[in-house]
Amino acid sequence: MRIHRIITVIGAAIGVLSLVALSGSSAVRAQAPVSEVLIGELLPLTGNFASLGQQYLWAGQTVEDIVNNDYPDLKVPLGPGKGFPGLGGAKMTLVVRDDQSRGDQARTLAEQLITVNKVHWLNGEGTSGNTSIIQPLVESYGIPMSCHPCASPTLTEKGFKWFWRTGPNDSVMVASVFQFLKEWPAHGGPTTLKTIALFTCDNLFCQDNRKIAADLAEKSGFKIVADLTTKTGATTLASEVQRLQSANPDVLFYVQYPAETTVFQADAKRAGFMPKVIATSNGAYSDQTWLNAQKANNGAAAWLGRDPTAIDLASRKPSWKQVNDIYKKYSRGQDMGELSMREITGLLWMADTINRAKSVEPAALAKAANETNMTPDVMIIDYKGIKFNQNRQNELATGVVTQVGWDNEKHTIWPWELAKQAGFKTIFPAPGWQERDSKK
Amino acid sequence: MTLFLQAVADGLQMGLLYALVAVGLTIIWGLMEMINFAHGEFMMLGMFGAWGLSVSLGWDPLVSMVPLAVIMYGAGVLVYRLLMRRVQRGEIFTQIFATVGLFFFIQNGAVAVFTSDYRFVEKSWLTGLSGAHITLGDVRIGVPLLVGGLIALALFLILYLLIDRTDFGLALQATSEDRDAAMLVGIRPQRMYAVAWGLGTALVAIAGVILANFFAVYPQAGLSFTVLAYAIVALGGFGSILGTLMAALVVGVVQSVTAAYLPPAFKDAFVFGSYILIGLLRPQGLFGRF
Amino acid sequence: MAASSPPGRAGRAQQVAWVLAALVAILYPIPFEQSGYVYYETVGFLVLLNAMLGIGWNIIGGWAGQFDFGPNIFFATGAYTAALLSIHFGWNAWLALLGAVVVSVIICAAVTYPITRLRGHYFAIATVAMWMIAQPIGATWELINGSRGLFLPVATGGGFVHGMLTMEFAGRGKGLGFYYLALVLFALTVWGARAAERSKLGFYFRAVRDDQEGAEGIGIDSRLYKVIARCLMAAIFAAGGVLYCFWALAVFPDQVLEVNWNILPMMAAVVGGLGRLWGPVLGSIILIPISQLMTATLGAGPLAGRGIDLIIYGAVIMLIAGWRPNGLLSLPWERWAARLLGRAPAQPVKS
Repeated sequence: MRIHRIITVIGAAIGVLSLVALSGSSAVRAQAPVSEVLIGELLPLTGNFASLGQQYLWAGQTVEDIVNNDYPDLKVPLGPGKGFPGLGGAKMTLVVRDDQSRGDQARTLAEQLITVNKVHWLNGEGTSGNTSIIQPLVESYGIPMSCHPCASPTLTEKGFKWFWRTGPNDSVMVASVFQFLKEWPAHGGPTTLKTIALFTCDNLFCQDNRKIAADLAEKSGFKIVADLTTKTGATTLASEVQRLQSANPDVLFYVQYPAETTVFQADAKRAGFMPKVIATSNGAYSDQTWLNAQKANNGAAAWLGRDPTAIDLASRKPSWKQVNDIYKKYSRGQDMGELSMREITGLLWMADTINRAKSVEPAALAKAANETNMTPDVMIIDYKGIKFNQNRQNELATGVVTQVGWDNEKHTIWPWELAKQAGFKTIFPAPGWQERDSKK
Repeated sequence: MTLFLQAVADGLQMGLLYALVAVGLTIIWGLMEMINFAHGEFMMLGMFGAWGLSVSLGWDPLVSMVPLAVIMYGAGVLVYRLLMRRVQRGEIFTQIFATVGLFFFIQNGAVAVFTSDYRFVEKSWLTGLSGAHITLGDVRIGVPLLVGGLIALALFLILYLLIDRTDFGLALQATSEDRDAAMLVGIRPQRMYAVAWGLGTALVAIAGVILANFFAVYPQAGLSFTVLAYAIVALGGFGSILGTLMAALVVGVVQSVTAAYLPPAFKDAFVFGSYILIGLLRPQGLFGRF
Repeated sequence: MAASSPPGRAGRAQQVAWVLAALVAILYPIPFEQSGYVYYETVGFLVLLNAMLGIGWNIIGGWAGQFDFGPNIFFATGAYTAALLSIHFGWNAWLALLGAVVVSVIICAAVTYPITRLRGHYFAIATVAMWMIAQPIGATWELINGSRGLFLPVATGGGFVHGMLTMEFAGRGKGLGFYYLALVLFALTVWGARAAERSKLGFYFRAVRDDQEGAEGIGIDSRLYKVIARCLMAAIFAAGGVLYCFWALAVFPDQVLEVNWNILPMMAAVVGGLGRLWGPVLGSIILIPISQLMTATLGAGPLAGRGIDLIIYGAVIMLIAGWRPNGLLSLPWERWAARLLGRAPAQPVKS
């Protein structure tokens, strides 16, 4: 290489580094009053988690509709009236980005939303893994961020100051199920449940649940007779079902996605395998399309799991039905699933926070968020309220335990007060395959 | 012992279905040395076709298998004529990446048209048979999967006869062995290639139609089956139809037996591990020609 | 292949082009830093990272002519090794980089030697097999916390220089910092690859690619050189994985073993021109901004969720493949440039 070429390059490098060292911080945000509040929606709209991402998109569109339009009888934050009253009627605008279920894409697009589109709040990513990749980035820019359906406990255990979660995390959710199992004998339930098997897929969501369940199962006095982690995207689960069958658990703790659940059901039916109790934690149980498909053959009867709200008692809350009607405009007629409900609740909280802050300045937003004390009467979901602990996790996010009945609808079976209102007799033991077929 | 025998039976059943998924790939691969990255997407299209016709016209998937096979044959020929023919003159990697582009195009096309919701074929002859099973000793063999597997086997037999016993099949074989010599005897390679693509696509789409009876239908459904298909084709030997069948059965059994005794999350890993082991002993695959 | 600077005016023109390119690469992020549009710096980061990986893959795929469809396992070993060394032993990032490269190369040599018995497509499937085997290991191995991932601590202080030395940038310096880190690693990769290309190694690789039997006939151990080529690639991928690890601050098995870490570098190499040193760079410069642009426009707004951007992306790839099967570098750039500058081409078009 020629000497003067080297010198030129080195000189340029020195020049650049000096510029970098001397350059100040980037542009300051505008202080003028806003007419538009920009909400970044970073979601997995294609790729592995697309079926989740699209629900979150519909939820976002629903809340945008509620905020920007006047729904005078709707008892949720910003239902009546157009726009944000606290910001002079400014409207809410979603800025949607698809990260293809990829972490690197999520991080890159988060940076785009923050530095180019200058969103005031970042909502996403929708899955715990990719959300944890964008957390450090958002933290460094100091704008508020939230992921309401993200369930991994670790998201709020790292001390981030700019991440809020209104939804419960897996610890709480799995605990509800085990709480129910523990209290059941005293409320007319079986006293013979001693053994449990764990059957989970191998990704982050399932494994988080598995760890928590394994811990709680031991604490609740269950003996774990099988602990199988299956490959996500399995084409057959026949051997796994065989192993479960020979372990013969009283309770099957089951966490799988809809596609694998379809395979499991077929293989279990062929093998004649049905434990006395199937307890789930989200996954297929939270998927509306899977649930609807079970109607034809009672495939879901007696499955129980955690839900954010007592859906069968939803008529107590006219707001639930009203919101569902708005949601169906965007979801091609699909009812709100439990994930959408969590997301909508969270986004309405966000809108309320922005309204209370009367500003889009991050500091004001953070203050308003931390001061939140939302009461259940304005929520479509059965949380006890919204109030954050010092990790910015909503401490009052609870939920109920439901069971699917012969009508293929979910019925509340816990807490006991709500269960009494619902008036549903729990099904025990889970019916065998022939019984399911006979009642088609 | 029952566990083992049941696992073998389950594995053989799945193997028949895997074979049907893989055979289309081996035809294209064996004839033109083209790896079709988008193979699984054609299967997915077959699944959506079966679901769509079932929901809108009430056709049983086994009935819609025929028109869908014809349509997908045409689609395969179209893909060859419009795209693959042009990339044949380039690097092999370019051919592969043309199919990567096809993969993105088709999968996301399905997302655009159908969205990412899970769909299920709820009423069909095979789903009606669910629960019926044959018992051989302690081993239970589910009837629906068995029927699906037997259909796959029948198609295999037809394909084998087509390739081995008809003039057309011999022309196909000749083109794959020596293209220039085939041209000398009046065989048009371009036509053979187009037919191969059409056949390959049609076969995997038929596999999709059968599988739609048992599996959820969604745009990303192609992946889990086709990854195994590549291993099966390589294990059996590229271009060998019989090899594909044998290899598929081996893969099905390995998958099933390892899941019965070892951590199930590794079952595909063991399949691939077996491929490497067998490959080291026999680098051209079980029935490969070179 | 790529000759040293040809003499005369064409040679001078080339030198000026290199200097200009270097200047652009070095100065690129400055305007974005000033205006606050840090995102574009990250796009630059992604271009450099994928170009680097593409150059690495080109060594085994383009020069040695072996179909390797599973290079991302070394991206993963690099990321995990660095993460473990950093989290459990507190190693400095650059030391961790060294450790990650060493570990990845050792693993590569160990697993690659056996499969070099396989030829062509069979070898390709063997590399896919390794990737498939790596997935459940990544998802269930407790040492690396399985699917629940490893998290690196977030930096709380230190300026630009500190960041370059530790790969930790606090606050808003991330975009700029990682761009320059990627530039440094990219430059090292180019320098190393160029050296390899012109050395005997490059010659042996191409001999194995073009005629393996003939090469063995004159005493070249094809298996050894295939392993060496793959290990060079593994080293580069491991370095990329380390960079990713400190950039994302979280290592998840499904993210580091993701299919795009295979596809993008390969596509960059193919689109740019297989076997050419700068092919992957050109490919990366073209593909990444296109996909980013389309995500932001077609993947957003009312069309969001329908994958329209990816449909177009797929169509673009098919178009490029169909129109220019030998890669875009095979276009007669020198002739066009010469015509543009009003001169007759000084040298015949290189291969």
